[in-house]
Amino acid sequence: MTPRFRFQELMQRYSDGVATSLEVEELCGELRNSEAARHEFITLLNLESALESVAAEWAAAHPQPIVISRRRLLPALPRKGFLVTLGLCLAIMLGYQWWTVQSNRVFATVENGTGVRELPGGTELRSEWIEIAGGTVELLTATSARVVIEAPATFRFDSPMRLNLVRGRLAADIPPSARKFTVVTPSGEAVDLGTKFGVDVPQRAEAEIHVFQGEVIAQASNGGQRKNLHSGEAFRLKSGAGSTRNLRSAAFIRPEEVRPLHAALSAGQPLKAETELGRLREDPSFVAILDFESPELPEGMFDSVQGRWPGSRAAEFNQATDYLRITLPQVGRWTQLTMAAWVRLNQLEDTPHSLLLATNAKGEIKHSLQWTIDREGVPQLLLSGTPVRSKAVATRETPESEQDRWIHLAAVYDAEHGRASLFVNGVLVNQGAFAKTHQLAIQRLVIGSPRTGVQRLSGRMDEFVLLGRALSHDEIRTMFETGNPYL
Amino acid sequence: MTDQQSPERYQRFLRLFTSHEPAIRAFVRKLVPSRTDADDVLQEVAIVLWERFDDFQPEGSFRSWAYGIARLKALSRLRDMSRNRHVLASDVIELIAEKSEETDGQLEKERELLDQCFKKVPAKDQELLAMAYQPHVEIQDVAAMSGRSVRGFYQWLYRMRSMLSECIRRQLAKEVVQ
Repeated sequence: MTPRFRFQELMQRYSDGVATSLEVEELCGELRNSEAARHEFITLLNLESALESVAAEWAAAHPQPIVISRRRLLPALPRKGFLVTLGLCLAIMLGYQWWTVQSNRVFATVENGTGVRELPGGTELRSEWIEIAGGTVELLTATSARVVIEAPATFRFDSPMRLNLVRGRLAADIPPSARKFTVVTPSGEAVDLGTKFGVDVPQRAEAEIHVFQGEVIAQASNGGQRKNLHSGEAFRLKSGAGSTRNLRSAAFIRPEEVRPLHAALSAGQPLKAETELGRLREDPSFVAILDFESPELPEGMFDSVQGRWPGSRAAEFNQATDYLRITLPQVGRWTQLTMAAWVRLNQLEDTPHSLLLATNAKGEIKHSLQWTIDREGVPQLLLSGTPVRSKAVATRETPESEQDRWIHLAAVYDAEHGRASLFVNGVLVNQGAFAKTHQLAIQRLVIGSPRTGVQRLSGRMDEFVLLGRALSHDEIRTMFETGNPYL
Repeated sequence: MTDQQSPERYQRFLRLFTSHEPAIRAFVRKLVPSRTDADDVLQEVAIVLWERFDDFQPEGSFRSWAYGIARLKALSRLRDMSRNRHVLASDVIELIAEKSEETDGQLEKERELLDQCFKKVPAKDQELLAMAYQPHVEIQDVAAMSGRSVRGFYQWLYRMRSMLSECIRRQLAKEVVQ
C-alpha cells in the first residue's frame, strides 16, 4: 500500500500533468485497490474543477489583461525587420547543429542501477530527462565524477560537468579531473571545488547542499548570495542570504554503499526480510511493528522517504521536534521486552538520539524505559521508576564503517534476570545488570523527540519491532541477517 | 421544420443542459487529466446529448443520462491520449466514475461551499489563485508576478488548496451540526 503522503504527491503530479508512467501505474494500483484513495482522488479533482469555475467568474468580474506569456511575444519578431529574422535563422541553424552534436554525446554511464530496471549497468546517458520512481543509481561521468542519485528523482546531464536535478537526492564524489562539477537545482546550484558532497532537492521545499569533505560554492537563484561551504557544513538554497542547516551525514546513499546494496537486492534480501517480519507479527508476544508501508501512518511529525529497499518507505526525522507516537489500546505489563529497528542516523554533535521512550498512558518519565544512542554511537537503555535510575551502556562505540549507513539496533530488557542486552548489527555489544528491575506498565511509545528534554532523533527509521519477551541472541542475529540491505 | 429543429425542443434542452452543465463538467474533470481535456470532452458530450435528446425520457434524470454519455466520451478520449501520454487505466476510470456518481450530492455541496471559502481568502491571494486557474495560463508568468520561483509558487498553490479543503470541511461540519 502507498503511504498517504506519497499518494497525495502522485495525485498532484497526475493532476499537474507531470506524472511518469511508473507513477501513473502506482496511482492506478492504489485507486483500484482502495476506496478511500478513490474518495481522496475525487475530492481533489472536485476542488480543481470548482476552482476553475471560481477563477472564470473572478476573471469575468475583473476584466483586465491576465498574464502576458513569453510565448505570445514571438509573433512580433518579424516586425523587427529582415536582419533580425536572418540573424534568428542563422542562430537556429547553428543552435540545431550544436544541439545535434550535444544530444548524441555520452555524458555519463550507469555503473549500478539498484532497483532501477529502466537503467541497467552500462546504460549511456546523454542530454535527456530521466525519472526514477524507486531505487538508487550510480553514475560515472566522462570526467570521472561518481554520482549516486536516490529516487524519487528527475535529472538530466547538460554536459559531463553539469547536472540538472529537479527532484531527488544526490551524493557526489568528485576527483580533481571533474573539479567545478556543477549540480543545478530549481532553487540554485552547487559548484564543486574538489569534494564529496550531497544535494537534496525535496518535492516542496528549497534544495539543500551538504558538504562531507572539501569545499563547495552554493549559489541561490533569484539573486541569492554566493557562499563557500566547507567540510561538515550544510546550506539551504533560498533567495537572499539562504540559511545554514545541520549536516545530515546519513541522508545520502554514498557511492561505496551501492555495490553491497545491489548485491543484497540480487540475493533476494527484501523477500527474506518480509518473511522474517511476517514471522514476528505471528509471534504470541507481538506488541507493535512499524514498516511504514501502510497508508495509515502513526501520529507524529516526520517525512516519508525511501527505505532500505527500492521503492519501500521509511520515516525520516529531520527537525529537532520530529516524533512518532503509538498509543497501545491498553496498558501492557511486561517483565521482558525486546525492541529493534533498522536506522540510518546522522551524526549529532550535542544530543543523543532517542530511539524509543516507552511510558505509561500519561507519558510520565518516572515510569519509563528509554532506548538511546549517544553521539559516539554508544547504545544505552535507561530504566526509571526504581529508586535509582538504572542504565545499561554498550561497551563499544559504533565503528566508523557502520556510520552514515543502515544499521540494525536491538535492546532487550529482562527484569526476570535483572539485566539488559544491547546489540548492533546482530552482535551483542553489552549485557549489563540493572541495580533493580520491575515489571513495566507501558501504553505510550514515542520514537524521536519526546518533547521533555533536548533529545531528538535525526535520521531515517525503517522497521521498528517491539515484542513482549526477551529474544535470544540467535533470534536477534537472524533479524539482522535476514534484513541486512548490504551483502 | 423537423421536430429536431423545433424551438421548444431546443429551449427544453438548453434549460436542462444549462442547469446541469457545472455538474457534468465537474464529473468529466475527474475522469481526464487536465482542464483542456475536460473542455474538449464536454463539448463532445454536449453534441451527443443534443443529437440524442429524443432518447431522453423526461421522467428520468438528465444528469444521470448525461453522466453515462460523459463516461463513454471520456474513456474514448483517454484511449486516444494513451498513445502519447500517461493516463489512468480504463477500469480505474470506471471505478472513479462510479464513486463520483454515488457521492454526487456531497461533491456538489463541496463545490458550492468553495465559493464561500474563496471569499475568505485575502484579495491579493484571490487574484493570484484566479490567475493560476485561467485557461492556457503560463504558470511561470503568474509565479513571477507573485514574486516567487515556479517551485515556490507550486508550494503556495498546494498550501492554498489544503487551506480551502480544510475550510470546506469545516463548513460542512458546521452545516451538519446546524
